[in-house]
Amino acid sequence: MSEMIQLSVFRYDPEQGDKPTMQNYKVPITGSGMKLLDALNYIKWQLDGTLTYRRSCGEGVCGSDGVNINGVNGLACITPIAGLKQPIHVRPLPSMHVIRDLVVDMDHFFDQYRQIQPWLKTFTPTPEHERLQTPEQRAELDGSYECILCGCCTTSCPSWWWNGDRFLGPAALLQANRWIVDSRDEAMGERLDQLEDSFRLYRCHQIMNCMEACPKELNPTAAINNIKRKLLARKS
Amino acid sequence: MRERSVNNTRPLSPRLSIYRWQPAMIASILHRFTGLVLVLFVPLYLWLLHGMTGTAHHFADVTHWLHSGFGRLSLWLVGVSLMYHFCNGIRFLSIDAGWGESRDAMRNSARLVLGLTALVAVLLAVLLV
Repeated sequence: MSEMIQLSVFRYDPEQGDKPTMQNYKVPITGSGMKLLDALNYIKWQLDGTLTYRRSCGEGVCGSDGVNINGVNGLACITPIAGLKQPIHVRPLPSMHVIRDLVVDMDHFFDQYRQIQPWLKTFTPTPEHERLQTPEQRAELDGSYECILCGCCTTSCPSWWWNGDRFLGPAALLQANRWIVDSRDEAMGERLDQLEDSFRLYRCHQIMNCMEACPKELNPTAAINNIKRKLLARKS
Repeated sequence: MRERSVNNTRPLSPRLSIYRWQPAMIASILHRFTGLVLVLFVPLYLWLLHGMTGTAHHFADVTHWLHSGFGRLSLWLVGVSLMYHFCNGIRFLSIDAGWGESRDAMRNSARLVLGLTALVAVLLAVLLV
């Protein structure tokens, strides 16, 4: 008999229509370096096939399995079981509409990403070859391009919990900053115009939950501050 | 619209009740709370000022109140709030200016400000008792 780990998992079945509940499971440790996703997979494949969650790549690249783990958001696939306090409480990303169990409706989150117009905007004629960057200009994108849009940061933000309908949230703002600092993008003014709003940008009160939650160890708070400084520099 | 009506039937996942409190999160909420305390005590500052500059009778009243248990508690709360709001305000300003913006600096400065305030809270309590 191998060592067992205890989990307490958020369950909600829309067909039953009841209130969400927490369900306990016991899962054996299947190997060294076991991740939380392995435990969820064990439950789904061996114990209870009705448990529903999103997952795809299993290595922290696709951003499908963002969940709340013992009170902090993270990706189940890259969170080691070792070091987690038991029973491990697994809940869906906070302040989201739950479709079933750990699956939440991400439509609004991706709509906010769309709002910052995440593509290269240029006005100068397209050059014959690529729009080149120096290594230094490329380095400006470090800390922004790694974002996989898992939603861990945005759904960890109390400002977004209360004002998510109008505050864009850390993920969308980190992405907005990614295009603002891109040397090839020529629409910084337009982007700043769109962000200069007491709700869309300035609801950030430096709570920094986003920075603590980010599984890619990025810093959305710093990105938001960079946008604020760009706005200030434009005024002065 | 259809999407909205579907979401009306979907429960909202738990948020504040389950999220783990971390130093930076506590630092932010305390900044707002202490700011509120400092503003709400403005009538008290004015009353104290009035007592200090008014008649001898007023002065005795104010001195008596300041030595009462409630007076001391108020002084302690305002003192701790001022200390915290001042230190964390400097922290926020420096982060706004782009100084101490790394992940570790943000965490450690939150811990530093919280620790410093706890120390001052104890010292002030000892002084006032």
